[in-house]
Amino acid sequence: MSRSPDPPEAADPRQLRRIIAEDAHWFLNTVPSLSNLCLQSIVNHFEERPIWENLSPVHKDFVQERLSTSMPLHVTANLIHDGVYWKRCCEKWGGIRDLTHYGNSWKRMFFEKHMENMIELFIPDVTEPKTFVEMVPLCKDYIKRLNISQLLPPVTEPQKEEEEYGSELVIENEDGPSMDHFDFNIMLDKLTNLEEFHVVYRVKQCGLNFECKMFEMTHRDCESLAKAVKSCKTLKILRLNLSHMEDTKCRLLVKYLLDHPSLRELDLSHNLIGDKGARAIGKLLNRSSLETLNLCDNNIGGPGAKALAHALSMNSTLLSLNLRLNRLRDEGGQAIGKALLNNNTLLLLHLGANEVTWPSAIALSKVLVQRSTLKSLNLSCNNLGVDGGKALEEAMSNNSSLTECDIRLTEVEEQSASFVNQVVWTNQSLEQRRHARESKTKKTSTAVY
Amino acid sequence: EEEEEEGSEKILPQRVINLNRDLTTLVTNIQTAADAKESLRRAELEEARRLRLERLEKDLKSSQEIFEEITRGWSLSTQRAIPQELHEALNNQQQLCDALIEDKKKLINDLQQELKVGDDRYVKDLRKQTEELDLMMERMEDQIKTLIKAYREELTQIERVYTQESEILLTKDKIEWDQHMKGLWEEELKRLTQRTVKVEEYENIIHNLMIETWRKHSIIQTKQHASFQVLERESKQLRIAKFTKTHTRHEIAESKFSLTNIKTRLSRMKKQMANLSDKYKSQRDEFTKKSRYLSEDYKRKIKQYERIQKQLKHFAVADDRKFEEMWLMIDAEVKQLVERALDIDSQICKQHLGVAWERPVMGFMELCGPIQPQGVPQLLHTGQDSQDSQRMMDPSVRKEIEAEGSAVQSESGAKEEEEKLPMETLKGVMELLCDKAGFLMEDKLLKLLIPLGKEEQTVVKLGSLLSYIGIEEEDIPKLAAFLLKYRHQQREQTEDVCDGSGESNNKAEEEETEPTTHLTSDLDPYDVVPALKSFLRQHMRSRESSSRQHHSVYEAARDSSEDEAYWQSMGSVICEDQLRLWDTAENKLRQYQAVLAEISALVPETESLQQQNRELRMLLQQTLKVSTDLEM
Repeated sequence: MSRSPDPPEAADPRQLRRIIAEDAHWFLNTVPSLSNLCLQSIVNHFEERPIWENLSPVHKDFVQERLSTSMPLHVTANLIHDGVYWKRCCEKWGGIRDLTHYGNSWKRMFFEKHMENMIELFIPDVTEPKTFVEMVPLCKDYIKRLNISQLLPPVTEPQKEEEEYGSELVIENEDGPSMDHFDFNIMLDKLTNLEEFHVVYRVKQCGLNFECKMFEMTHRDCESLAKAVKSCKTLKILRLNLSHMEDTKCRLLVKYLLDHPSLRELDLSHNLIGDKGARAIGKLLNRSSLETLNLCDNNIGGPGAKALAHALSMNSTLLSLNLRLNRLRDEGGQAIGKALLNNNTLLLLHLGANEVTWPSAIALSKVLVQRSTLKSLNLSCNNLGVDGGKALEEAMSNNSSLTECDIRLTEVEEQSASFVNQVVWTNQSLEQRRHARESKTKKTSTAVY
Repeated sequence: EEEEEEGSEKILPQRVINLNRDLTTLVTNIQTAADAKESLRRAELEEARRLRLERLEKDLKSSQEIFEEITRGWSLSTQRAIPQELHEALNNQQQLCDALIEDKKKLINDLQQELKVGDDRYVKDLRKQTEELDLMMERMEDQIKTLIKAYREELTQIERVYTQESEILLTKDKIEWDQHMKGLWEEELKRLTQRTVKVEEYENIIHNLMIETWRKHSIIQTKQHASFQVLERESKQLRIAKFTKTHTRHEIAESKFSLTNIKTRLSRMKKQMANLSDKYKSQRDEFTKKSRYLSEDYKRKIKQYERIQKQLKHFAVADDRKFEEMWLMIDAEVKQLVERALDIDSQICKQHLGVAWERPVMGFMELCGPIQPQGVPQLLHTGQDSQDSQRMMDPSVRKEIEAEGSAVQSESGAKEEEEKLPMETLKGVMELLCDKAGFLMEDKLLKLLIPLGKEEQTVVKLGSLLSYIGIEEEDIPKLAAFLLKYRHQQREQTEDVCDGSGESNNKAEEEETEPTTHLTSDLDPYDVVPALKSFLRQHMRSRESSSRQHHSVYEAARDSSEDEAYWQSMGSVICEDQLRLWDTAENKLRQYQAVLAEISALVPETESLQQQNRELRMLLQQTLKVSTDLEM
C-alpha cells in the first residue's frame, strides 16, 4: 500500500489508510541469524565450494531445502545423501511416482528416472555416448532398476534414400548399421547395483511416422543386449516385451544367458517366439536358476511345449510358468502334464488360451491327484469340454493344495466348475489357516528365543 | 479357544473374501474373454491362412494349367501357317492370357479385399480392446471402491464388536472390583470392631491385674513391715546386749574416732574459712565499688539540691517583689475606698445630720508597703548575726569565734580544701579522734571491736562517734581542717601570749612547710576535745542558720495575722455606731422622699386649679365689663 504524495489522491480514504497489517507482503523483517547467513552463502557457492560433511544434521536439512536443483550432478551425486534435495529434483523432473517402488529413496528415484530419460531420448549416431560414460560412474551406486519404455531408432533419412534404390537393397542391408538402437554394452556392466532391467524396443507416440521397423529389435541389437545382460552379473529380472523377437534372436539371447549367475526372472511375453526358441529356452531352464518364466502371447506350438516339458521334468528351480496365449494344443498340454508328474517345485502354471482339450485336462488332473505342489492352475479359454471338467472334478475331490483354479470359458459343466471352485475355496481357507498358524508359531518361536 | 478365535477371524472376513473373489473374477473375466477372443482370432487367422494357401495352391494349379495350355498353344501356333488360323490361335491365346490375368486380378482383388477386411477388423479390434480396457479400469475402480467400503464396514463392525466386548469386560471387571472392595471393607470393619472389643477386654484385664497386684503388694508390704518391726526390735535388743559388752572397747575406739573426726572437721573448717575469706574479699570489692558509686551519686544529688536551693531563693525574691507590688496596689485601692467611705460619712454627718464630723484616728493610713515581719530580715544575714554575737561575747572567745566565723566563711572554700587534704592526713586525724574521743563510745562496742583489726576498729569507731556527735561523714574533712587550724590558732595564741615575737612567722612557715604526716605528733591530744567542742558548736550553728535560711521565705508569707488586723482596721474605719446612725438616717431620708414625691404629684393639680381660677376670674371680669357696658 504505497501512499501517493498527491493531495487529491491522498483525500481518497483508501489511500489514507496506513494499517500495516493490511499489507499481505509486510512482515517484521527480523535479522536472520549468522548461522543461517553462513548456510545461505554455502548454498550460493555450493558449486565452487561444496561444504557438506562438516555440517550438523539440522544445517544439512537447511542446505537441502535451498540448494539449487540445477546443480551439476558430478557435484551433488556422491555428496548429498538421500533427502529433501532429491525430492525437489524429482519434482523438477515432474511426475513423482510411488516412492515405495523405489525403496523409499528419493535419490534412487531421481537417478533411475534420469538414466531412463537419457536412454529413452538417445538417438544413435547423434547423441554422444560419452555423456553416458560420464554419467554412469555418478549414478551406478543408486540405480537398481531400469525401466526403458522406448528406444529411438537412428535418423531414418539415409534409410529412405536407400529404399528408393529398390526393395532388394533393403534385404541386403538387413544388417546395416542404420536400424540399430542404443547399445547397452557401454553401461550395463558398470551399473553394479542393477537388479531389474525392462526393455521395450519400440517408439512411443510415433504418430504418422509409423514404420514396422520401429517396433522391432535387430539382430545386432539382440546380440549387443545379450552381451550386455551377460556382463551384468547382478541382474535378477530381465523383461524384454513387445520387441518382435523371433526364434533366431531368441536363440541368440539364450545363448548368452546360459549359466547367468543371478538371473531369477525372465519375461519374454508378447514376442514371436516359436518352437525353436522354446526349445532353446527349455535348454536355458536347466542351465540357470530361473524361478519365473513368462512366455505369454508367443507362438509356441506342440514341439516347443514338448521341449519345455522335458526341461520341466528335470528342473528343480522354476516356480512359475506362464504359457498363456500360445499354440500348445493337446500335444503340448499332455507333455507338460506328464512332465509335472516328475516335478516337485512348480507352483504356478498358466495354460490359458492354448487350444488344449480334454486329454490334457485328464493329464493335469492326474498331476493334481498325485502331486500336491501345484498351487495355481489356469486353464481358461480352452475347450476342455464335459469330460475334462469331470476329470478335474474328480481330481479336485482328492486334492487339498490347489488354491487357485481358473476354468472359465472352458465349456465345463457348471456343476463340476462350481465343485472345483468350492474345493479351491476350502483349500484357500485351509491355506490361510495354515499360514496364520505358521506365522504364529514363528512369532512364538521368536518370542522364545 | 485359539481355534475359536481363529474361526471367528476367518468367519468375519468371509464376506469380504467372497466379495474380493467375485470382483476379481468380474475383472479378470474381461481378460479371459479377450484371451478367448484372441485365441479364436488366431484360430480363424490360421484357418483363413490355410484357406488362402489352398486357394492359392488351387489358383496356382489352374493358372499353371492355363499357362501350359498357352505354352502348348504357342507351340501349336508355330505349326500353323495360315494367318487366319494363326490369328485365331492368337486370339485364342489372348483370350487364355486374359482369363489368366483376370483370374490373377480377381485373386489379387480378393486378397486385397481380405486385407482391407483384416485392417478394418484390426481397427475394430483395437477399438474393442480399448473399450474393454476402459471397462476393466472402470471395474477395477469399482472393485476398489466397493472393497474399500466393505473393508470400512468390516472395520467399523470389528471396532464395534471390540468396543462392546471391552465395555462388557470393563463393566464386569468393575462389578467384580466393587464386590471385592466391598468384601474387603466389610472384613476390615469386622476386624476393627474385633480389635476394639479385644482392646477393651485387655484393658479390663490389665486393670484387674493391676488392682490385684497392688492389693497383693500392699498385703506383702504390711507383712514385711510387721516382720521388719519384729526384727528391728530383736536387733535392738541384741544391740543393747552387745553395747553393754562392747562399751569399754568402744570407748578407746571412740577416742580415736573422735580424734580423726576432729581432724577432719578442722580441715573442713579451714576450707570453710578459705571459702569465707574469698567470699569476704569478693564482697568487699563489691562494697567498695558500691560505695564509690554511691558517693558519686551523692555528690550529684548535692549539686542538684544546691541548684534547687538557688531556684528557691530566686523564686522567693520574685514572690516577695510581687507580693509587695500587689500589696501596694491593693492598699492604695483600699485606702481610696476608706477615704471615700470617710467622705460619705462626713457628708452624711455634716449635711444630713448636721453633726460635726471628726476624722477617726488612722495610723495605718500612713503606712506604705507590706508589713515586714520583725526580726526575720536580720536573721537572713549570718554575718550580722555573728557580728552581733561577737559583740556580746568576751574578747577571749571572740578571737576563737572569729576563727570559727572565718572557718564558717571559708566553708565555701572548704570543699576545695577537702580535695586538698590528702587521704592520709584525714586518716591520721580520724585515728586521733577515735583515740581521744573514745570516752564517748560505749564499752560494749569497744569490747566487740577488740578482735578486729586496727583499721576496721577505727572505721567502726568513727562511724559510731560521728553518729554520736551528730556529724555526717561528709563533714569529716571539714572537721579535720578545722582541727588543724584550731591547732595553729592555739599555737599562735600561745605564742602571742608567750612571745608575740616574729618567731610565729617562722613557725607558721615551718608549719606550712611541714608535711601533714607529722600532724598527729604535733597536735596536742588535750586540745582535741575542746577543739571538737568548738567545732561542734560552730557546726551546729551553721547548720541551724542554713536551715533557717531555708525557712525564712515561708515565714514571711505566713505572717498574715497582722495583715488581717491591718485589713480589719481598714474595714472598720466606719464604726458600728456610725453604721447604725447611717441606717436611721436612711430611713428618715426615705420618708422624706416619700413626702416630697406626694408634694410633687400635687403640684400639677394646684397649677391646673390656679389656671381655672385665672380663667374664671377672666370670665368674671368680662361679664362684669359687659354688664357695666350694658349698664352704661
